[in-house]
Amino acid sequence: MLETGLIIRALMRNKIGALLIALQIALTMTIIVNAIFMIQDRQSQMLRVSGVDEENTFYLTNTIFGQDYNIQAALQTDLNTLRKMPGVVDAIQINAIPLSGGGWSSGVQTEAGEDKDSIGTAIYMVDDHAINTLGLELIAGENFSATDIQWRKSGQSTWPDKVIVTKALALSLFPDDWQSALGKTVFISQNQTIQIIGILKQLQAPWNGWDGVERSMLVPFQMESKGSRLFIRTEPGKRDQLMPLVEKTLAENDKGRIIGRLRSMEETRERSYQRHNATNKILTTVVITLTIITGFGIVGLAIFSINRRTKQIGTRRALGATRWQIMRYFMVENLLISVVGILIGCVGAVSLNMWLVKTFNLAPINIELILFGVTTLLIVGQLAVLYPARKASLISPATATRTV
Amino acid sequence: MLIMKNISKVFQTADIQTHALRDFNLTVNEGDFVSVTGPSGSGKTTFLNIAGLLETYTSGEFTLDGENIGQLNDNGRSRMRNHKIGFIFQSFNLIPDLNLFDNVDVPLRYRGFNAKERKRRIEENLERVGLASRMKHLPSQLSGGQQQRVAIARALATDPRFLLADEPTGNLDSEMAQSVMSLLEDINKQGTTIVMVTHDAQLAQRSPRTIQVMDGRVSELNLHLATDNQQAIA
Repeated sequence: MLETGLIIRALMRNKIGALLIALQIALTMTIIVNAIFMIQDRQSQMLRVSGVDEENTFYLTNTIFGQDYNIQAALQTDLNTLRKMPGVVDAIQINAIPLSGGGWSSGVQTEAGEDKDSIGTAIYMVDDHAINTLGLELIAGENFSATDIQWRKSGQSTWPDKVIVTKALALSLFPDDWQSALGKTVFISQNQTIQIIGILKQLQAPWNGWDGVERSMLVPFQMESKGSRLFIRTEPGKRDQLMPLVEKTLAENDKGRIIGRLRSMEETRERSYQRHNATNKILTTVVITLTIITGFGIVGLAIFSINRRTKQIGTRRALGATRWQIMRYFMVENLLISVVGILIGCVGAVSLNMWLVKTFNLAPINIELILFGVTTLLIVGQLAVLYPARKASLISPATATRTV
Repeated sequence: MLIMKNISKVFQTADIQTHALRDFNLTVNEGDFVSVTGPSGSGKTTFLNIAGLLETYTSGEFTLDGENIGQLNDNGRSRMRNHKIGFIFQSFNLIPDLNLFDNVDVPLRYRGFNAKERKRRIEENLERVGLASRMKHLPSQLSGGQQQRVAIARALATDPRFLLADEPTGNLDSEMAQSVMSLLEDINKQGTTIVMVTHDAQLAQRSPRTIQVMDGRVSELNLHLATDNQQAIA
């Protein structure tokens, strides 16, 4: 027979120690649930796909220092060389790299005018080989043709007529039906018209923390610039082997520029989420440490309580309590303290989450996570009290007759 | 009721063996009231602990209410203590955080009685010791004598066949001691077998039978007529 009533009444006359542990459990619950929530949030961000064939792509910078340099001719030579290299699937010049942290953005709107709302989008200036080179999936419309590609001078403010957008951008522009975006004319730089000729399944922007990270636009531009990036896709498994070869080939073909900063897309993703990873590691350490500290707190309180009540335990044994009944007494006592702490912790966890949602625009916490916190702390509490409870159960009933 | 044959208890430390009981022989019959006396260190408490199944013995035979104690495991001994033995301790051993009602309730819960039966027994036994009106009080709110009465109520609540009292008046003044002793005598008259360990020769004289323990053995056995003892004390 459980002694819940007796335990509660005994606890009520000895509140301080139990209350302190309950508060520690509550604090732990509040922190670990929200910490795990933040870890999960970051984890889900890291698991998002960029839309790019990351395993088989890399890029490099091409910095021209030569005087009287024919940028257009050199770029075409480079792209032709790259596209003909064995193992290379395709190559393009690109102004920005997805997830790299640096890039271009602009506002696109369905109605012209300064007073109209615009939707922010990442801008990728590429040619008609972009879809193949990046490994993108065109889910509606068509690709650029070779004749669509224009040269863009430095500082140029006009835009080409045609663009390809991601499904997320199409949905932001036309919330009722993203497919209706195809063929529509929208406005960039407030009043310049552009026509959407294709819709991509996915292509992430360069900024992983941006809430519009899925909104991107391909613009048929090749840049006439002394500093540019070349993006290369290889056949599966040949990337690492081709990276130094590409660097060497390009450098040898033209001595009037510097080829450098070769980086794979996988490395770019890793760098992009470096802070997420570090924060998750710190949060995981906090969660584990707090849980362990709480466990030790429970062990400490239980041992103190048992040492204080040695004679009482002996008396209970003398009155007929079995070892299991003594163990159960302390486990139920701990369970009651844990339940109080966890209930307070649930309120704390939800309150902290509401603040986080309001302050950092995070999604609200889900019930599964709270249940996970509840279960974890109940298990930790019971495991922590197991050793002291077992120790208590081994107290001899003869302790009852000892006067010292 | 209680038969001990050649019971020995040896406490073993790293290099010392202490013989607390040596060939201890005793028979207590149903309805007896036996006082156990003896100097400190003579083995009285060890005898009480073994008789109350609080401690195991090293060798010998021990039968309690027809049950061979040597064959019982820890759970069996716990069950036997709860079902057949009531304990009264020198320092009362009440649980300070529980009121009188809950203190008496403790062994009844181990017995598995339902709430109604437990309440009936608690009220009946607190009434018996004259403390029914104070059942919501904490032990710290009672005098020593009253606390010992609660301990007696707790011991009686399970209807034990055998009551073991360890210096039940040791922490009481003489007036309280007489009152507690009278209560034990009443309980014995109602059929409960009592074994009482005491230093108090006068109290021991009030029981019909006294044994003296010396160096772990029963060294002396006196039989009194209870009525004579009561007259002598009066």
